[in-house]
Amino acid sequence: MPERQLNPQNTMTMDVETHEIEPVRKSIRVRADAARAFRIFTEEMDSWWPRTHHIGNSPMKRVVVEGRPMGAIYTEQEDGTNCPWGSVLTWEPPHLFVMAWQIRPDWQYEPDLSKCSEVEVRFTPADDGTTLVELEHRGLTRHGVGCAKMREQVNSEGGWGALLGIFAGKVGGAA
Amino acid sequence: MNTYQERQFDALGDVTRRALVERLRRGPLPVGELAQGLPVSRPAVSQHLRILKEAKLVRDEASGTRRYYSLDPNGFAMLRKYLDNFWGEALEAFQAKVEEK
Repeated sequence: MPERQLNPQNTMTMDVETHEIEPVRKSIRVRADAARAFRIFTEEMDSWWPRTHHIGNSPMKRVVVEGRPMGAIYTEQEDGTNCPWGSVLTWEPPHLFVMAWQIRPDWQYEPDLSKCSEVEVRFTPADDGTTLVELEHRGLTRHGVGCAKMREQVNSEGGWGALLGIFAGKVGGAA
Repeated sequence: MNTYQERQFDALGDVTRRALVERLRRGPLPVGELAQGLPVSRPAVSQHLRILKEAKLVRDEASGTRRYYSLDPNGFAMLRKYLDNFWGEALEAFQAKVEEK
């Protein structure tokens, strides 16, 4: 199956990193077959994606997922620009979707895939017609030193910074 | 943010310490190799490493006669928390859309 390869020279580092920080894992069961769940998660991502989540400089119009291996993932912004933030790494409808998360912790686009984490989404159908959707966001330490910039973002007013602060407050019980 | 995270961000508010963290992104290194090519003395590098260690961004481990420094995965806790929360909310929105008639 066609997959985009991350830098092979980083294999050892990737292993170490992948095992050293716990991936984010979420699962949810939906009342739909796997084909519908897969399609809506990927090619129809725009229909549910939180509008507050983009890295453009103007409000986002829509999010686009090119449904093919190495397909681009980007948002179209109101100012007419396109804002890339991911790439399709594995495209196996209706069961498996893996994308590179090309967003640095300071909310800039990261073109170097070896510095990006990955989001894997598995769709497992059940006999009762529902589908289990399991998401794993892994390889977070590949984002490395970018975490340094988060402070500025958290302290800045509006946009992603404020949003991050809200989230951080919610989950961390902090200011 | 809590004070623990504050300390991490303060620790990274220095160009030398950011360079050290960037070097460690590729894997563990002893202090001598970490210091190579940096425009600061080796004792200064050790001092920077101490600050990074206190902020739980870097950890060290003895291996034979050498001490290896590596990134401390706990330092990524905030990013992880943020994504954990984000995906929780995003998946609920996704579920609502999928189950829409």
